Amino acid sequence: MSAENAWGRRYLMCPPTHFEVLYEINPWMHREVPVDPERAREQWEALVGLLRQAGAEVEVLEPQPDLPDLVFTANAGVVNGPQFVPARFRNPERHGETAHDVAWFAERGWRVDELPEGVAHEGAGDSLPFADVLVSGYRWRSDARSHAPLSAITGVPVRSVELTDHRFYHLDLTFCPLDDRHAITVPAVWDRYGTAVIDDLVPEPLVLELDEASQFVANSVVVGRNVVMPACPPRVGRVLEKWGFEVAVADVGEFLKAGGGCRCLTLALDVDLSGGGARS
Amino acid sequence: MPAELVEVEGHIIDSLILAKILDLIVGAGADYHMVDVRIGRTNTDPSKVRLEVRADDEGDLVALLEELQVHGANLVGELDAVLEPCTDDGVLPAGFYATTNLPTWVRLGGRWYPVENPEMDCALVVTTVPAPVVRTVPMHRVIAGERVVTGREGVRVDAPERPHGATPFEFMASEVSSEKPKSLLVAEVAGRLRANRQRGRRLLVVCGPAVIHTGAGPDLARLVRAGWVDVLFAGNGFAAHDLEANVLGTSLGVSVDAGTPTEGGHSNHLRVINEIRRWGSIEAAVRGGYVTDGVMYECVQRGVPFVLGGSVRDDGPLPDVRTDVVAAVDEMRQHVAGVGVALMLASTLHAVATGNILPAGVETYCVDINQAVVTKLADRGSRQALGIVTDVGLFVRDLAARLDPS
Repeated sequence: MSAENAWGRRYLMCPPTHFEVLYEINPWMHREVPVDPERAREQWEALVGLLRQAGAEVEVLEPQPDLPDLVFTANAGVVNGPQFVPARFRNPERHGETAHDVAWFAERGWRVDELPEGVAHEGAGDSLPFADVLVSGYRWRSDARSHAPLSAITGVPVRSVELTDHRFYHLDLTFCPLDDRHAITVPAVWDRYGTAVIDDLVPEPLVLELDEASQFVANSVVVGRNVVMPACPPRVGRVLEKWGFEVAVADVGEFLKAGGGCRCLTLALDVDLSGGGARS
Repeated sequence: MPAELVEVEGHIIDSLILAKILDLIVGAGADYHMVDVRIGRTNTDPSKVRLEVRADDEGDLVALLEELQVHGANLVGELDAVLEPCTDDGVLPAGFYATTNLPTWVRLGGRWYPVENPEMDCALVVTTVPAPVVRTVPMHRVIAGERVVTGREGVRVDAPERPHGATPFEFMASEVSSEKPKSLLVAEVAGRLRANRQRGRRLLVVCGPAVIHTGAGPDLARLVRAGWVDVLFAGNGFAAHDLEANVLGTSLGVSVDAGTPTEGGHSNHLRVINEIRRWGSIEAAVRGGYVTDGVMYECVQRGVPFVLGGSVRDDGPLPDVRTDVVAAVDEMRQHVAGVGVALMLASTLHAVATGNILPAGVETYCVDINQAVVTKLADRGSRQALGIVTDVGLFVRDLAARLDPS
């Protein structure tokens, strides 16, 4: 019998008031494909509704003009109990987000511990807890050399995985911890060393094909036994159902235009890695 | 070979990052050496590994380092070497870097430069015009104003490696062989000398007087005549007894042919030295027909350079002997370039002196009946020396028979 994730019942989200594709920093972004602000708002609110329905709390980060990607709160940083490690964004287009993220956490009593200057790390987008380690992606947005200081600051062992396909620029497009035994994985876009590490770590992976991964299937939010997904191919749905999960699909098509799905729009606030990653 | 130090830390064992980095290095045709390895005790402890990465050329190394950096291996902030000018001729700055005889590299302006002439117990002098050049220079030869490397920063020494595998002596597990089949060893040395010659490298022979006493003079002369010897170092004694043997048929008064003492023989070498002094030089004595055979004769005839270094107990000495020992070693230094093999034949002091000025890469075979001589050479820093404990007369005879069967 598997145990639910001990985290994932409280999220930080940012409404898409100023969301649009202003620049292109991943292969999904095309400035000529405009975002429909109305649809984006409806989709975002529907996602909030599904998460609340699944039993999660949602807290809100104030949107800011000229920071369209602030909606992707997953990249704000790494939360570890009372500690918040803010991201160091690779692209200058997103540098402006950090001050707002830090202010939000600091005002609410989180201790802010920063990564050293000069290394890039994009928060929970590239770091997800599984078992008692932090699985961290690197290459496109986060540096491999951010992993040692991240581990030193949080006190949590890090398992590094190289992301080999530019379309899957963040770990959370390729990996989704479901519970203490299961995770959605996309080894096709990992290097063979990272694949071996995850093979060793996850007893029962749900391995996605590349076409499934391209629908952002791994970019899902898990709330206990509920999984809120941008898309759910029938094969994936059957496996999740067999494992006892209930699936809800949230249409986040407007956000996919910027290369982000359900997970990218959320940052779990209740992650505490000091006492192990799962509750029984 | 260009090289850089990189460091990688974190949970690099469990994340297979270290394995990946090592695979990348090897896959790129480069090489690595683990300088420092600290493995975390528990799975929450981070590990830290420092690697020296080497590639065939600077461009390959830079490309590889960029790739390694992606996987978290950072260039260790290596600094350039610190240079200080000499304030007086023959006096080094107090903190001068003292060399080994191993291949050595010096970092200047972010690039590594090889030391051109590795020699132990010297200083490193850097000249930068027209391009950076690093040379070893013995203390007494530095000139005021020359810039010398001080401290250890920016200096790298290749780890000493004894010859292994099939070369040069697969079966010589120990450094000194007193209990090995000698004819096999001689055959191996002969093979190494042939290979050395094929590579266009020179053979240096260092001789003690026992070579003549044991009757190996004619065999060594034969090797010189056949063109095997490219340079010869010895002292007054070796040359004097070689000349004595060929002029009067004795070595230190003992008949070389009969092995019996000759009447008044104790002064034979003095008389020969005296006559050579009258000629003015060994070459003049050879050209004048006073000396007609022997090792020194063949050296003169074939134009093989020789350096005779003097000592305080020398008789005479011969006019060719350099009695200023510092000048003698300087002259020896001029002849070591291009030497691939050094054969030390029954010589202690000259073998050690020669070992001091040879780079570690020169294959050195030390033949002596006394095991202590071989050990002494190794103890003085010539770690590359392989010892063959045997009678030098038998060794040279066997070697000559193999190299010059005519």
